[in-house]
Amino acid sequence: MNMSKAWLVFKKDWTEIKRNWQVLLPIIIVPIIFSVVLPAIVLGISGTPIEDSQSGDFDTLIGILPLDVQAQLSNFNPNQIMVYIMVLYFFAPFFLIIPVMASSVLGSDSFAGERERKTIEALLATPLSDSELFMGKVLVSFIPAMLVTFVSFGIYTVLVDVMTYSMFNGILLLPNLNFLIIILGVAPVLALCSIGLTVMISAKVKGFKEAQQISVLLLIPVLGLVFGQISGLLVLGPLVLALLIGLFAVIDVVVFYLGVKVFQREEILSKPA
Amino acid sequence: MIEAENLTRTFGSLTAVNNLNLHIDKGEVFGFLGPNGAGKTTTIRMLACLIAPTRGTATVAGYNIQKDPLKVRQSVGILTENPSLYERLSAYENMDFFAQAYGVTDLVERRKRIQELLEFFHLWERRNDKVAGFSKGMKQKLAIVRATVHRPPVMFLDEPTAGLDPQSAKEIRDMMAELSVHEKCTILLSTHHLEDAEKLCNRVLIMNKGSVLLVGSPDELRQKTNEKPMVEIALKQVSSKILKTLDGVMAAEGVKQQENRLLISVKDTATATPEIVRSIVAADGDVLAVNALKPSLEEAYLKLIKGGEKQ
Ligand SMILES: Nc1ncnc2c1ncn2[C@@H]1O[C@H](COP(=O)(O)OP(=O)(O)OP(=O)(O)O)[C@@H](O)[C@H]1O
Ligand SMILES: [Mg+2]
Repeated sequence: MNMSKAWLVFKKDWTEIKRNWQVLLPIIIVPIIFSVVLPAIVLGISGTPIEDSQSGDFDTLIGILPLDVQAQLSNFNPNQIMVYIMVLYFFAPFFLIIPVMASSVLGSDSFAGERERKTIEALLATPLSDSELFMGKVLVSFIPAMLVTFVSFGIYTVLVDVMTYSMFNGILLLPNLNFLIIILGVAPVLALCSIGLTVMISAKVKGFKEAQQISVLLLIPVLGLVFGQISGLLVLGPLVLALLIGLFAVIDVVVFYLGVKVFQREEILSKPA
Repeated sequence: MIEAENLTRTFGSLTAVNNLNLHIDKGEVFGFLGPNGAGKTTTIRMLACLIAPTRGTATVAGYNIQKDPLKVRQSVGILTENPSLYERLSAYENMDFFAQAYGVTDLVERRKRIQELLEFFHLWERRNDKVAGFSKGMKQKLAIVRATVHRPPVMFLDEPTAGLDPQSAKEIRDMMAELSVHEKCTILLSTHHLEDAEKLCNRVLIMNKGSVLLVGSPDELRQKTNEKPMVEIALKQVSSKILKTLDGVMAAEGVKQQENRLLISVKDTATATPEIVRSIVAADGDVLAVNALKPSLEEAYLKLIKGGEKQ
């Protein structure tokens, strides 16, 4: 495989995507909601003191936190505890939804969209190999998705630090180890997994809309993480995160193996559009 | 340049192309004719390594379509049935991407080539416009020049003149003729316009329902109809004297009168026309115009397709 040829496909797809609002809107708006709007609301209401009865909701969650964290929390007042848990634990899985959502929107457009717009035939007639085409399209689904993830995490970090700076007497809550593992470790393996699934789905459906809708189903396990966190069943600590990385890495290998098999010239054109 | 051997493709129970054999020489313009669904596009797709044949094999520009697909694609320029252009990219961006995909990596050379091609169809001024805003004809022209961007020795053009106005269709025919004569490019085109076949093709292949009905030059095809050539003569007035005289002319095998015109069937227009005109003049006829008529390709085509259908 010639990487410069894969890069050529990447640049072509990226130029198209930059001009396509149907793709740009979701991958800009959803991250803004998760990294700016929701945290701003939570931090905004954290100014009003909460009653003891309400803070009891967090007790279960606090109970399964690592001991050193629990020790730290014991020095905090209820408002600080709420903010600490919300900002560092409750919001963490949102930064997994962002890469999954973005890469499936981008992947659906690049794989199913190209077929739907009937431009695939001329592309397949070029001497670019199957693996160069596949690689270029995976890159255009992966790189912008990760970029959006990094940028939204950057914004989130600044926002949180600025708004909690005085509340925590000058301690910066972010970035911490957990988040770094999530952003640099879990998010990429999860994005790749979503791309692999999108490739397989794109080969079976008519257009990019269907591809997108079906691959959003992939969000369900990620949403599971969100609700697991909320109800206190699960806490994303370094160990859990390492397990997640391993698990998704294995799934990645499987879905990519199947995706490459599906992404063959013959398969793509013999199906009536 | 293009050889096919028992090329066959089935889709489920439908045989789209059945045992096709082909031999096309370098520089030849070869036409595929046939009604909708005949298998023209499917054949082109197999030869361009876009879909695999179910049976049989082919070589294009010396490369086997099954063993060397990348080399075949490199040697081929293709106009697909659908123009297959990126609508969100400009004309120039489309050309630039495909030029690079076909290995025209040198920037200066690429620019020059793209400018030359876009200027050919007067698209250079529109180079930075998005293709989405182009008319059907402009898209078709852009797709055709895209196919030639890497100077391929072989071109496959699927209905190059479909949906174009007569002027544009002529421009495209001129371009194909030039490619074939000057660049010795081998061109395989499919068309529903018999005019393309007539004016451009050295040989045509007529297929229906996946099977080949006939391969030959447009002239050979005409002869299959058993229709005789005719000489059409317009006169100031047709007198009984003229008709009587013509009765005695051996070369005039049949005479039909339509007002002041005579339609005379002959064996060969070249030898019969002077003799017939001479005898009409001798019978005091005032000749206004003389026209040699070949049987139309269209009639031959329709006859063949009908005949094929009955079998
Ligand atoms: N991907 C496919 N799946 C199933 N059937 C197909 C497919 N592609 C073509 N066919 C069938 O193969 C036959 C030949 O189709 P093809 O497109 O080659 O015809 P054509 O000669 O190009 O017709 P037209 O003049 O309409 O373009 C048709 O009956 C068509 O329905
Ligand atoms: Mg066709």
